Amino acid sequence: MTARPTFRPFLATFFRSFLIQGSWNYRTMLGTGFGFAMLPGLRRLFRERPEELEAAVERHLEHFNAHPYLSNVALGASLRLEADGASPETVRRFKTAVRGPLGGIGDALVWATWLPVVSMAAVALYWWGLPGAWAAAAFLVMYNTGHVGLRIWGFRTGLEAGRQVAGRLAAARFADWTMRLRSWGVVAIGVLAGAVLGGEGGLADAGSGWAVLAAAGFVLGLFVGHHVWRSAAVAVVAVIAILATWGTIR
Amino acid sequence: MSLLALSAMGGAIALDGTSVGQFMVSRPLVAGVITGWAIGDPLLGAVIGMVLELYLLVSYPTGGSRFPEGATAAVVAVGSSAGVDGGGALALGIAVGLVWGHMGGLSITWLRRVNGGLVPREDARISDPGRVALLHTLAIGLDFVRGAAVVLTGLVVGRTVVGELAEHWPLGPGGSVGLVLVGASVSLGILLRDFGGFRANRLKLAVGVALGLLGARFL
Repeated sequence: MTARPTFRPFLATFFRSFLIQGSWNYRTMLGTGFGFAMLPGLRRLFRERPEELEAAVERHLEHFNAHPYLSNVALGASLRLEADGASPETVRRFKTAVRGPLGGIGDALVWATWLPVVSMAAVALYWWGLPGAWAAAAFLVMYNTGHVGLRIWGFRTGLEAGRQVAGRLAAARFADWTMRLRSWGVVAIGVLAGAVLGGEGGLADAGSGWAVLAAAGFVLGLFVGHHVWRSAAVAVVAVIAILATWGTIR
Repeated sequence: MSLLALSAMGGAIALDGTSVGQFMVSRPLVAGVITGWAIGDPLLGAVIGMVLELYLLVSYPTGGSRFPEGATAAVVAVGSSAGVDGGGALALGIAVGLVWGHMGGLSITWLRRVNGGLVPREDARISDPGRVALLHTLAIGLDFVRGAAVVLTGLVVGRTVVGELAEHWPLGPGGSVGLVLVGASVSLGILLRDFGGFRANRLKLAVGVALGLLGARFL
């Protein structure tokens, strides 16, 4: 039986979790970053057993992938499992089982919802007249309140629950949070559209023709979805290039 | 600010995109503002950053997907447009930024392949904690160099393109903003689709638009 890790190695692993994607690659994905973040805790747990430490480091370098913020759940739980003396196969099976849910929940909640909703709120504030620096500061404070809070919650939950984290993840009702945030996100889309339309230096100032074209672009995105995003960006770059060339030769 | 210093700053901001923290300092709305302050034109930095943010609203750094890099796009766009008069600087800077954001995304894919060669292979049985920390830190250092190199090349190309073409730009400031916002509006439509579509959300959307217009009018 190994000694439970104390607070300090916990903190070091938590802080290292901010670097977990530093060596992201197509072979082990987050694997090396996961092992890197686990090192302080593992050193503490196996400080007088270098051979067990090396074996533990080796198993935590294996392939792993999840959302970077929610990988803290797996980090905390893996530390707990190692502290409880779980077998290497148990640790391996646990990490394999949680990586999919942690990736899916995090992608839907953070990347596809929290990030765009907070971004839209900040850009709307800018178009309402807030100086750019204040809008950016508001974005960073709002976004990172959720970001860092999620990392802390994940790490603590993993440490407390160990292999029982599935129940804690279900109890957290992330799907409900995502749906609620998306509901607010729709309002944010409207607010942003109104702010860009009516704000100083926005579409109203540019002329009604541009507002009509922007509405057409909005409808295009609404009906076609993500497939049209890259084409729209390419089209804008192409139009800018054509206009610049025309301006030069006329 | 010198080209090299701006590139180093771009490399540092780009680290936040994936490798370090992901506090979203690397989002265009923040990176644009920071670059604007660094080069002495915060207004230009803010407007370019905000417009690029609209473009990249639906670009998520999920797993192994390739996504345009917001940090390099914003730093290159603002750094290329700075000191150039007229609406053309804004439109051309954003065009260069969009192209270089894509280049940044390609370079991330390349770096991830390089990282795959750096990290220990399953059969190598590397378990020395010091070596693991060294490899991981080396990969982060490489990401900084990658970001700085992408920004540097983007600034060299961007300043040349914007400097040569901006004075002949045919649209005024209003038309230039209108043009780039037309492309950005596509992202808002995509987001509405992701959030449940128009039919189920039309009331909330209408309330939002009304609030947005009222805010623009009275704030």
